[in-house]
Amino acid sequence: MSAARPGLFGRSGLGVVSLGLPVVMFVLLAFGAQDFFSVENVTNVNNQITALAIVSLGQLLVALIGGMDISVGSAISLTSVILVSLGSWVAVPVALALGVAIGLTNGVGVALFGVHPLIMTLASMTFVQGLALLIRSGAGGTVPTVLVDLAQGHVFWLPAALYWCIAAIAFASLLLYGLRFGLRLFAIGSNAQSAALNGVRVAGPRLTCYVLCSLSGVVAGVYLTGRIAAGDPSMGQPFGLDSVTAVALGGVQLSGGVGSVLGATLGTITLGLITNGMNLLGVSPFFRGVLTGLLLLCAISLQRRKAIGI
Amino acid sequence: MTQPTADFPMVATPRREAIVARLLALPISYFGTLALLACAGLLRPNLLQPFLLLLILRQTAPLGVAVLGQSLCVRLLSIDLSYGGVAMAVSYIMTSGYLPLSEPALILICLLFGVAVGATNAFFIARLNASSVIVTLAMALILGGVVTAFSQLRAPGDAPAFLRYVGQVRIGILPIAVLVWCALLVPVAAFLRTSTFGRYVEAIGASPRAALASGIPYVRVVFLAHVLSSLFAVVSAFLILGFVGVGSLSIGADLALNSLAAVILGGVSFGSDRGGALGPSVAGFMLMFCFNLLTSFGLGEPGKQMAQGAIIALAAVAYAVRGGKQEK
Amino acid sequence: MQTHAHAPSSPVSGELGIAVEFCGITKQFARIAALTDVSFAGEAGTVHAITGENGAGKSTLMKMLAGAHAADAGEILLGGRPLLVANPAEARSAGVATVFQEATLLPNLTVAENLFLGREPRRNGLIDRGAMRRQAEDILEKIGVDLNVNVACGDLAVSEQYLVEIAKATAQDARVVIYDEPTAALDAQGVEKLFRLIDEQKRSGKLIFYISHRMGEIFDICDTTTVLKDGRHVRTCRTAELTRDGLVALMVGREIGHLYPPRKPRPAEAPVALSVDDFAPIRGGPAVSFSVYRGEIVGLAGLEGQGQRDIVRALAGIAASPAGEARKHDRQGRQTRLRPSVVAVVKAGVGFIPEDRKSEGLYLSLSIERNIGLGMLRRAPLASRAQIDKERIRQLMRAMNVRARDARQVVSALSGGNQQKVMIGRWLAAGIDVLLVEEPTRGVDVGAKAEIYRLLREFADQGGAVLLTSTELTEHLGLCDRILVVRGGEIVAQLPAASATEEMVMRYALLGRPQEGPVQ
Repeated sequence: MSAARPGLFGRSGLGVVSLGLPVVMFVLLAFGAQDFFSVENVTNVNNQITALAIVSLGQLLVALIGGMDISVGSAISLTSVILVSLGSWVAVPVALALGVAIGLTNGVGVALFGVHPLIMTLASMTFVQGLALLIRSGAGGTVPTVLVDLAQGHVFWLPAALYWCIAAIAFASLLLYGLRFGLRLFAIGSNAQSAALNGVRVAGPRLTCYVLCSLSGVVAGVYLTGRIAAGDPSMGQPFGLDSVTAVALGGVQLSGGVGSVLGATLGTITLGLITNGMNLLGVSPFFRGVLTGLLLLCAISLQRRKAIGI
Repeated sequence: MTQPTADFPMVATPRREAIVARLLALPISYFGTLALLACAGLLRPNLLQPFLLLLILRQTAPLGVAVLGQSLCVRLLSIDLSYGGVAMAVSYIMTSGYLPLSEPALILICLLFGVAVGATNAFFIARLNASSVIVTLAMALILGGVVTAFSQLRAPGDAPAFLRYVGQVRIGILPIAVLVWCALLVPVAAFLRTSTFGRYVEAIGASPRAALASGIPYVRVVFLAHVLSSLFAVVSAFLILGFVGVGSLSIGADLALNSLAAVILGGVSFGSDRGGALGPSVAGFMLMFCFNLLTSFGLGEPGKQMAQGAIIALAAVAYAVRGGKQEK
Repeated sequence: MQTHAHAPSSPVSGELGIAVEFCGITKQFARIAALTDVSFAGEAGTVHAITGENGAGKSTLMKMLAGAHAADAGEILLGGRPLLVANPAEARSAGVATVFQEATLLPNLTVAENLFLGREPRRNGLIDRGAMRRQAEDILEKIGVDLNVNVACGDLAVSEQYLVEIAKATAQDARVVIYDEPTAALDAQGVEKLFRLIDEQKRSGKLIFYISHRMGEIFDICDTTTVLKDGRHVRTCRTAELTRDGLVALMVGREIGHLYPPRKPRPAEAPVALSVDDFAPIRGGPAVSFSVYRGEIVGLAGLEGQGQRDIVRALAGIAASPAGEARKHDRQGRQTRLRPSVVAVVKAGVGFIPEDRKSEGLYLSLSIERNIGLGMLRRAPLASRAQIDKERIRQLMRAMNVRARDARQVVSALSGGNQQKVMIGRWLAAGIDVLLVEEPTRGVDVGAKAEIYRLLREFADQGGAVLLTSTELTEHLGLCDRILVVRGGEIVAQLPAASATEEMVMRYALLGRPQEGPVQ
């Protein structure tokens, strides 16, 4: 059972597409859109992609072990409604605990029972989305001020969003490249049987990845809710497939074993620039879904899969 | 390497044990339906009136048609989650008046559209070997976005007469929609059981690698399956549209999810089929009955979503535990 | 194989005592007995061969020692104490190192990372990559291998990967080292390094278990030999006490002559069935040219991984982009070009039997009837009614001597030999007349082997043609009419099997083409 072969830059998965696309987008927008370099637009882009960046890093972890988690979007939505429904100090811990619960459910279903990750996360996505709608049926509510400040404030004249991104990237890099855990993820994603023969535990790390991914959804939800300063049960809807598109564009192989923090970040930037471009050029927002879908199709067509079927 | 010595049980299993074993291997949907009916009998007996049961049966018809397509895909280790997008597009084509053509012409166009969608899905799945979940979800996104954008310019309108007739009228006590469902169910089931295509589906589900290595026309079979799946989605959309009477953007939104749940509950797991054609159909009815029961308890749309998610998860886990291993 | 030079081995001393003892080991896999009451002992400081035919149970037994399987009955004593391990990692800690036949390296990890996976060196809680690199270089130097430790293992050649596997086992400094068919993946230089290493390990008091069925190696470097047959222990003794023929007789249990059906000389006017011209499985790579005539069984021999598999798979239509021409000639002389599509190749009347029948050959969850019946649908259009001739299936089962309850038996419950027959049966039912076979008797017991050889011979006698690959040289010598020796993807020699010997074939396999002229 051979696994993914490393590409141009080893197991980072970086290649012409993942490095070139953000550059191409950048150049296109720099020349094509008028207000691209305005401070307002740059901060806008930064704000928009922060949530996606956080969630994509979570998706990266799950993709590295060969799985997928499309329920992150509903984790964002659930977090959002909880933050406006419970008191300030209780809301965040409760949201985190729920995130852990979602991740554990996904992980147990996939790693212990052997359910296909897409089916399991599709099921949990539907359930959690229903739960979010149950708690709050529409947008609104008041968000604790401390969270709004954390999301919208400035530190040393730089927007808080930047710090959130940097913190997420730093944490993910430490996990993947500094700890033994990260190296073993690459091994498990490449060939779980061989990894097990080398004494690497497989079930535990898999479970952990799903928990971390759901937690990344919670963190992104906290940020987004603070930024919009309102709760919204449909806030997280596009993030499930968007995060998969972002990591796929960044060279992460969905079959496992190949990917990098840089790749996931670049993919997020590409997607963010495309959305920004659409906004600046006045394209109808409804086409965003169309574009995501088309990009997703392109991104996975470029990936060569050995597994047959779902 | 194992050292084989032929070793078969000499003692025949007792008849009673064999019968019990066969019963337990039946799809969950049979037991589930009985349990739900019993539950309703205790708590909401008016749901058991024949009139209402027939109504629920009519509600199930579009789902039943979609289930035919989904179960075909699932047996081939694939999946089709683009039903929502297809239904939206069909609803829009039929009711928006964008294309000023006669009703039969529009129906034909929708069917051709279904073929195109299925063929596109199959291209990515069978030829490029992409993940079917991602491909069909992306397709749903694309179709949904296009239709939504168009509907900003021109809203969907009323359903055409013929579809309303099919969707709302009865012959005797049987709704026409149910007849349409049966008219598709029986030939499809027979075809799968007796045709070469059906044997190939069975083989590919059992081992796609062996199918590829032994010369089974894998690409053609998967292609046909996805085209059929999309066509069934189109017919399903016709039925829903006919019943509801007006085009709307939310028609068929949970068709994909419900059909998947029904397929899993009905005994069809990835690569195998122990439920036949009846299991998933019964599961469709079970789901519709379940939703109606939940509505009678006061659970609205959110409750329905939670039920959908929980059912899929539990059914998938139950089958995984029972003995099917799902490959990635 | 006597083409290498190695240090003379020290005489078996027995002074270091028994390192490993197997006591009454029994193991079943799904009602099929893999091992029955196997008992023998291995002494420290010796190289101990574990040998037997395919399916004798060698790998299963050693996998138990390595912690990959648990015995159903009996126990294993390591250094006098029972070995109780639940997984390979625990076996490693207990002092058993294994070099598996299938590399367990992760292709996307570097050499250094692979060597230390599972026990990565740490500093302040983080991975210490510098230390990992340095220690990896030390290990490689110790066994005389020169590789860049920062290269991903997926980028290494197969023989280099195997050397890294060996380095991994060496690094553990275990008491017992198990080598599973090591020379299959190595070239001549690698084999030399390996034997030197094994000698060193022996001298330092380790017990080396050496799984192999290659006579030359066993007699060269192994002090003790254990023979297994059909899952039972046959004999354990000093290698010096055995002769080659004697060892073969112990392994096979009967004269080789009775194992293979008699060959008929090919009539001179036998028509061509398969013609291959300048055919390169990978575009731009080495090409081969040969023909297979009706009535013959041709074997592609040579060391493992020399391209035989690629050639057969490319002919079967599985390779992506081959170059050159391959044509099938039917009985009327019409030619069909074999395109790189399995569906087209099968339509042309060429059937492929892969070596891994469980994952690529059979539909394990389906019945015998379904498996064989699928062959009958070869030419049927998709929408047609499936015409399965159940009587013919029963006939085939009888003719092939498939031992099963009836045709509705699920194939996964059959023994290896019967499974192999079902695969052949599918092609016979399909009416093809050229068979491409990989490893016709892998994992098949001796009784079924003879029957499979008979089937292939009958198939050829009735006008079919067979092209096969096999790692067992005796199979080529006994079954085939002609042997094509493959080296580096090219055919370096063509020998009539009746007059060929093991030495001749190995000479071409190792050294390549003789100086005089091209071969056809």
